[in-house]
Amino acid sequence: MNISGKFLLRVAGTLTCIALTVAALLGAVNGITAEKIAAINEAKTAEAMSKVVPVEGVEFKEIDVADASVEAAVVYGTLVSMHEVYDQGDMIGYAVKFVAGGSQGNIEMVVGVDTTGAVMGVSVVDHAETSGIGTKVCNNETGMLDALEGMSMANGEITVNKGTNKIDGVSGATVSSKGVVKGVNGALAAVMAIA
Amino acid sequence: MNIKKQLKEGLITQNPVLVQLLGMCSAMAISTSISNGLGMGVSVTIILTLSNIIIALLRKIIPNEVRIACYIVVIAGFVTIVDLMLQAFLPDIAASLGVFIPLIVVNCIILGRAEAFASKNTVAAAAVDGICQGIGYTVVLLIMCTVRELLGNGTLMGYQIMPESYTPALMMVLPVGGFICLGVLIAVMQWALNRPKKEKEGK
Repeated sequence: MNISGKFLLRVAGTLTCIALTVAALLGAVNGITAEKIAAINEAKTAEAMSKVVPVEGVEFKEIDVADASVEAAVVYGTLVSMHEVYDQGDMIGYAVKFVAGGSQGNIEMVVGVDTTGAVMGVSVVDHAETSGIGTKVCNNETGMLDALEGMSMANGEITVNKGTNKIDGVSGATVSSKGVVKGVNGALAAVMAIA
Repeated sequence: MNIKKQLKEGLITQNPVLVQLLGMCSAMAISTSISNGLGMGVSVTIILTLSNIIIALLRKIIPNEVRIACYIVVIAGFVTIVDLMLQAFLPDIAASLGVFIPLIVVNCIILGRAEAFASKNTVAAAAVDGICQGIGYTVVLLIMCTVRELLGNGTLMGYQIMPESYTPALMMVLPVGGFICLGVLIAVMQWALNRPKKEKEGK
C-alpha cells in the first residue's frame, strides 16, 4: 500500500483538530462546573461528618493521616481522611472518611470514633448499592447503622451475623452489610493505630 | 427527510433496544427505578442528538480511515460534558446513575447511529434521528423501570402504589429481573412486528 505524506497529514490533522476542539470545550465546561461539584462534595462530607457525632456544634480539624493508620486499615479498604472532633475545645474523637467495597461498587462513608475506640456514628456519603436492597443498609432503613454505635474492636473485628463481636446484617443485603462493617472496622483500626 | 417515518422507526420498527438490540447493558442495569430510567434516557437522547449533529456536520471532512476514532472522541466529549453538568446541577441523579453515565461512551446505540445514519445523512435528518432513537430508548427504559419498580419495590417514582400486604418480589430489581423483563419485551415486540407479515403470507 502506498501511503503519501498528504494522506497522513489529512488523517492525523483531522483527528488532532477534533481532539483539540473537544478538549477545549471540556476545559470550558469544567471551568463552569468544577467549583459547584467541589462545593456539593464538601457539603455532603460536612453533612455526613456532623451526623456521626452525637453532640451538635462541634469543630472538625483535619489531621495528616499517619502511616500506621493506613497500614492498619489497608485490609478493609481505603482510608481517605481523618478529622479530629472538638467539642468546646475538648477532643472527643475522630471522624474518619473511609471507602470500602460493597456489592455493586465502593461505599464511601464517614465513621465517628470516640477516644476509647468505640463507634459514635456511621453515615454513608456515596454508594452504588442495589436500589431497594443494598440501599436499606446505606440509608439506615433498618437501623443497622445505628446498631453499630458503641461497638469497638476491643474483642477483635466486628463481623456480620456470626462471631463473638457480631452485628446482624440486613437480610438479602449481606454483601452491602459486610461492606459497611468493613469500613467501620477500617476506621476503628485506623484510630487505634494512633491512639 | 421524513420525521414521521423516523419516529416510527425509532419507536417501533427500528427500536434501538428491542429490535436493533443495542444498549441492552445500560437498559438492564439502571432500569430499577423510574427516576433513574428518565435520567438515563434523557442523557442518552441529548448525547445521541448532539453527537449525531456534529458527526453529520463533519461527515465530509472526517477521513474514512479514522472515522471510528473521530466518532469516539466526539461522543466521549459530549458524555463528559453531560456527566459534569449532571454532577454540578442534578447531583442526586448523578449519584444514582453512577458509573453508567461515563459508560454511555461505549453505548452501542450512539456509535451505531453515528456509523449507520449520521455519517450518511444531512445534519437535520441526523438530529431527528438522534431524538427519535433517543425517545425509543427512553420509552423502553421507562416500561422496564415501571414493571421492575412496581413488582420489585411496590412503588412508582418512590411513592407506595401496591397495598401494604404486597410482598415486593426483590428478584425483579436484581439483574435476573432485568433479563426476564427485557426478554419478555423483546419477545412481545418481535411477535407484534411479525404478526401482520404472517397474515399476509397466509392469504
